[in-house]
Amino acid sequence: MGKYMIKRILLLIPTILLVCLIVFALLRMLPGDAVDALVSRLSSTGTYTVDRAAVEATMGLDKPLVVQFFTWLGNALHGDLGDCFFQNETVVAAIGRQLPASLELGILTLILTNIISIPLGLYCAARQDTLSDYTIRIISLIMMSVPMFFLATLALIYPAIWWNYSPPSQYVSLFVNPLKNLQMFIIPAVLAAIAQSGMQLRTVRTVLLDNMRTDYVRTAWAKGAAEKRVIFAHGFRNAMIPVITLIGGSVSGLIGGSVIMENIFNIPGIGQQVIVAISNRDYMLVQGCILVFSLFTMIINLIVDISYKWIDPRVSLDNERRTGA
Amino acid sequence: MSGQKSGFAETLDHIIRFGRKKPLAMAGLFFLVFLIFVAIFTDVLAPYRMINGAMQINVLHKLEKPFLFLSAEKKAAALESGNVFWLGTDNLGYDILSYLIYGARTSVVLCLSVTVLSTVISLIIGMLSAVMGGWFDLVVQRIVDAWTCIPGMLLTVLMMSMFGNGILQMILVMGIPAGISGSRLIRASAITVKDSGYVKMSEMLGSGVFWKSIRHVLPNILPIIITQSAGGLSGVIMMEASMNFLGFGVDVGTPSWGYMVTNQGRSNMYSAPWICLYPGILITLMVLAANLFGDGLRDFMDPRLKNGVGTYSTKKIEKLSRKYLKRTARKQLNAHKGA
Repeated sequence: MGKYMIKRILLLIPTILLVCLIVFALLRMLPGDAVDALVSRLSSTGTYTVDRAAVEATMGLDKPLVVQFFTWLGNALHGDLGDCFFQNETVVAAIGRQLPASLELGILTLILTNIISIPLGLYCAARQDTLSDYTIRIISLIMMSVPMFFLATLALIYPAIWWNYSPPSQYVSLFVNPLKNLQMFIIPAVLAAIAQSGMQLRTVRTVLLDNMRTDYVRTAWAKGAAEKRVIFAHGFRNAMIPVITLIGGSVSGLIGGSVIMENIFNIPGIGQQVIVAISNRDYMLVQGCILVFSLFTMIINLIVDISYKWIDPRVSLDNERRTGA
Repeated sequence: MSGQKSGFAETLDHIIRFGRKKPLAMAGLFFLVFLIFVAIFTDVLAPYRMINGAMQINVLHKLEKPFLFLSAEKKAAALESGNVFWLGTDNLGYDILSYLIYGARTSVVLCLSVTVLSTVISLIIGMLSAVMGGWFDLVVQRIVDAWTCIPGMLLTVLMMSMFGNGILQMILVMGIPAGISGSRLIRASAITVKDSGYVKMSEMLGSGVFWKSIRHVLPNILPIIITQSAGGLSGVIMMEASMNFLGFGVDVGTPSWGYMVTNQGRSNMYSAPWICLYPGILITLMVLAANLFGDGLRDFMDPRLKNGVGTYSTKKIEKLSRKYLKRTARKQLNAHKGA
C-alpha cells in the first residue's frame, strides 16, 4: 500500500509538469495577447502614453518563452503563481477569493447527486421490471438528457412568472450568513445534481443487477440472509467500485458544470473567473486556475484509486488493470 | 458476408433484428435520422428561407406569439397576410420554426463531424500506442493522462477563444480533445487483441505496425469503436449546445439551438418565455435519442447480455427457494417414512 502510494504520487509529478506545459503552450498560442489588451485599455483613457516594451518588461513577457515557462514553474513550486494582469492582486489571492463559492457548489452538488442516485438506483435494481422501476428509469433518462443550462434557464423563468420568485443574486459568504448563502446555492446545486444523477442512477442499477447474478449472492440467498443484507452487504458492496469510479470521474464534469451554473446564477466562483480571464488574455490567472483545477482532478483520481483497495481487498493495486473499472 | 445474401440485405437484416430487440433504441435512431433529413432539406422545409446565408428578418413581427396562442382575429389576420409564424418570432424578428430548422443543420453537421474526427484521432493514437508499445506508448500515455486531467469544458473554452467562433473551429476544438481522451479505451482494447496469437504470427511473418493495425487490430475492435462513438454522441450534442450557450460557439449569424437559448431566449425570458423553450426541448430530445440509441447499441453488441441486463427479482427467487425447501422437506419426510 505504502509503496503503491509513493509510486502514484511520484507519477503525479510528470503529469503536473505536462499539464503546465500544455496550458502554457495553448495560452501563448492565443492570438492577441494581454499586452495589447492592457495597452489599449490604458491609452484609451488618454491620460497615459504607453510604452509597449516597458509594459512587456514589467509583466515579464519580453523574455523568451522557455525562460518565461521555467520562471513561472519555479515560482509555482514556491506557491507563487504570479500576479493578475488586470486586477491588483496575486493569482493565489484571486483564486483564494473565488474558490470557496465553487467548492461549496461542487460539494453540495456531489452530496445531492449521491442522495438522489444511490437509493433510487438500489431501489430500481431490487424491484426490477416493476412499474416503479420503469418510471424511475424513464425519468432518469430524461434527467440525463436535459442540458443543464436549459434546466437552469427554466428555473429562472417559471418561478419568476408563476410565483414572482427569483433566486437571490447577491453572494453572501457561508460564514457570514449561512441561511442566505444556502438560499443562493441550493437551486443551482439541485439542478446540477439532477443533471448528474441520471447517469449515476443508471450505473448503480446496472452494476448492482450484474452483481445480483453472481454466485456469492446466490449463496447469500440460499443461506437465508434477509433481502436488505443481501443487497447491501453482498450486492452493493461489490458493486461500489464502478460507482466510485463514476463519482470520481464526475468531479471534472462538476467543474465544467460549475462554469455554466456560475454564469447563470451569478455566483462569484472560479469557473466564472476563468471565462473572464480567458477573454481578457490574463495568462497568469488562467494558468493558475487551470493548474488548481487539474491538481484537484488528479488528487480525486488518486483518492479513487486508493479507495478501490479499501472497498475490495482483493484488488491488487500494483497491477495496472483495475477490476470492474 | 455469409451465404447468398448480399451485403445490403444482411445489413437490413441486422437493422430489423436490432429494431425488434431494442424498439426504444430504434426510435432514437429514427429521430436522429429524421433530424439528418431535416438538415438536408432545410431550404424546402423552412417557411422563411435563408437569403444569402442570413436569416430573414421580419421587422414588423418581433416577439410574436406562437400561432396557436394568438387571439382569433390575429390568427385570421396572419392567415390573410400570409405571415404565419407557427412557433412565433424572436426579438430580432426571426421566425423561430425556420431558425430551429436551420439550427438542426448546424447541430447535425457539428455532431457528425466531431464524432468522426474524434473517432479517427482516438483510433490513430490508441492503436499506434498499443501496437508500437515501448517508449512511444509510455510518452503518449503520459500526455494523454495530463490532457484528461485538465477539465474539458475549460480546455474547450480556451481553445475556442484561441481559434475564434465558427463551425469549423468548433469541430476541431471539440473533436481533438474528445479524440485524445477517447484513445484510452481504444488502446486498452487494442492491447488485448495485440497479444493474441494471430497478431504475433503475423509479426513473425514480417508485418509492420501499419499492416498489423489495419489488418488485424482494427477489425477486431470495430464493435468497441462503434459503441464508443454512438455512446459519445449525446455528450457531443450536449457539449455543442453548452459551448453555444456560453458564447464560445458558432458565428453570430449561424442559427444554433444552444445560442438561441442564451441569446434570444434569456434576454427575453420574462416577456417571451417560449423562445428558449423550443430549442431547449429540441436539444433534450436529440440528446435523449442519442442516449437511447447508444445504450441500445451497446447492449445489442455486448455478447454477455442476451436480453439487456440480467433479470433478478426477489419474488422469483423467493418462489424458487420455497419450491426448493418444499422439495427437500418432502424428500426428508419420505426418507423418514421409508426408514
